[in-house]
Amino acid sequence: MSDLEDSSQPRLAAGCRWVGEGENRTLVYPEGALRLQETARAILDRCDGQHTFDQIVHELAVAYNASDPSKIRQDAVAFLERLRQKRLVDF
Amino acid sequence: MTESPLALIAEVTHRCPLHCVYCSNPLQMVSSAAELTTEEWENVFQQSAKLGVLHLHLTGGEPLAREDLTRLVKSAHGCGLYTNLITSGIGLSEQRWEELVRAGLDHIQLSFQDSREAAANWIAGTRGHAKKLEVAAIIRHSRVAFTINMVVHRQNVDHLDEMIALAESLQPQRLEIAHTQYYGWAWENVDQLLPTREQVVESLKTIAAAQKRLEGKIRIDAVVPDYYARFPKACMGGWGRRQLLIDPKGTALPCHAAAVIPGLRFENIRDQTIGWIWRESDSFQKFRGESWMPEPCGSCERRTEDFGGCRCQAFMIAGDAAATDPVCSLAPMHSLVEQKLAEVNSRAAAVDDQMPVASPVEQSQFRMYRAQPK
Ligand code: SF4
Ligand code: SF4
Repeated sequence: MSDLEDSSQPRLAAGCRWVGEGENRTLVYPEGALRLQETARAILDRCDGQHTFDQIVHELAVAYNASDPSKIRQDAVAFLERLRQKRLVDF
Repeated sequence: MTESPLALIAEVTHRCPLHCVYCSNPLQMVSSAAELTTEEWENVFQQSAKLGVLHLHLTGGEPLAREDLTRLVKSAHGCGLYTNLITSGIGLSEQRWEELVRAGLDHIQLSFQDSREAAANWIAGTRGHAKKLEVAAIIRHSRVAFTINMVVHRQNVDHLDEMIALAESLQPQRLEIAHTQYYGWAWENVDQLLPTREQVVESLKTIAAAQKRLEGKIRIDAVVPDYYARFPKACMGGWGRRQLLIDPKGTALPCHAAAVIPGLRFENIRDQTIGWIWRESDSFQKFRGESWMPEPCGSCERRTEDFGGCRCQAFMIAGDAAATDPVCSLAPMHSLVEQKLAEVNSRAAAVDDQMPVASPVEQSQFRMYRAQPK
């Protein structure tokens, strides 16, 4: 199992997808569902197997006008690691 | 206000090529002639999606026994439902699998009866084990979530590590190790299936070790038998609270065993809308919330977590569906469970002495589930 690196290209795991629209969008997976905050949704929307982790962090920093991108990076690492443990994200 | 249901369990048929001795299907099975039609199920899916249901679990019997399964999956997917197929794998060809994937299937849960072929075939009453291995190989190469379900009980739990190794070799994302739940046919055979205390303790250790070893690779979820727990399971996440089940002929039930409870009238989706059944019908309101709770549940702080346990279990063990689940160590009727456990633990010890654990016990000891609906 590899760690999340700048060049990793995370993507939603098989059988994990969005249901619903807009604010009500829910991430649904085999035995459960997650309602996520906007930033979390923004991260996952970029987990398409194309974006590298580094790109995702940059795009987020721009989108949210972040003064401290390293904080975003930290949060994103923790979030994606957690989702990988649940087998919702692969990288 | 009543919350909306999140999951629909659609028992699309009771027909099944397997005859597992632990099957939780009711003893009275629905015949194929009485099954809901394709259009009726499609209507069920539409209504459910509108009510807020996210997950659809297609189960049975064996859902593959329905020739219209692909169409059902397609309709469900079209309504936005997250669709899960719970199957023995028997009846799944490569072509049919591709059709199901194209129809929008999200998740497949494939059950195994054992890691040892003879024992697996014996438990299932069918030679299906080899076929299941083939099916696993077909599934694993698609973008559909893949869960393997290993059902454990006294006859196979001693080689749980072998069962985990088999699952690992089949490369699912998720492994569910499900101790048998004692309903339907399993309840008929409880004396042969209920594991001993020692077996349960060992199995939990095995599971914990595997979870650690496979972390990030295969997610392992375990369902333990609540007979040995201090508190009961939160059956169905609470009566009429999260899930509803529709049986092959359209009866809506709060859980798969609820029909055993006498005096409850269960509505049919042929006569009523699902929204009405969920919100208004007597059967769904009967044990919803807390007002029905006896003591000690009524004043117990765990009542918001386990909802007083399982109503069907209370009825089956204590003869009273409104009693605290006898499995709970605080229940007035808990001695009934203790008695059962004492019986099983002493007898199992005596039997196991003469019996190699790998080979299933004599058929005659089971009240078999070998019948089929007509
Ligand atoms: S438990 Fe066995 S017999 Fe019962 S429905 Fe499932 S596969 Fe068929
Ligand atoms: S007394 Fe009732 S609510 Fe409390 S733990 Fe037991 S079953 Fe649950």
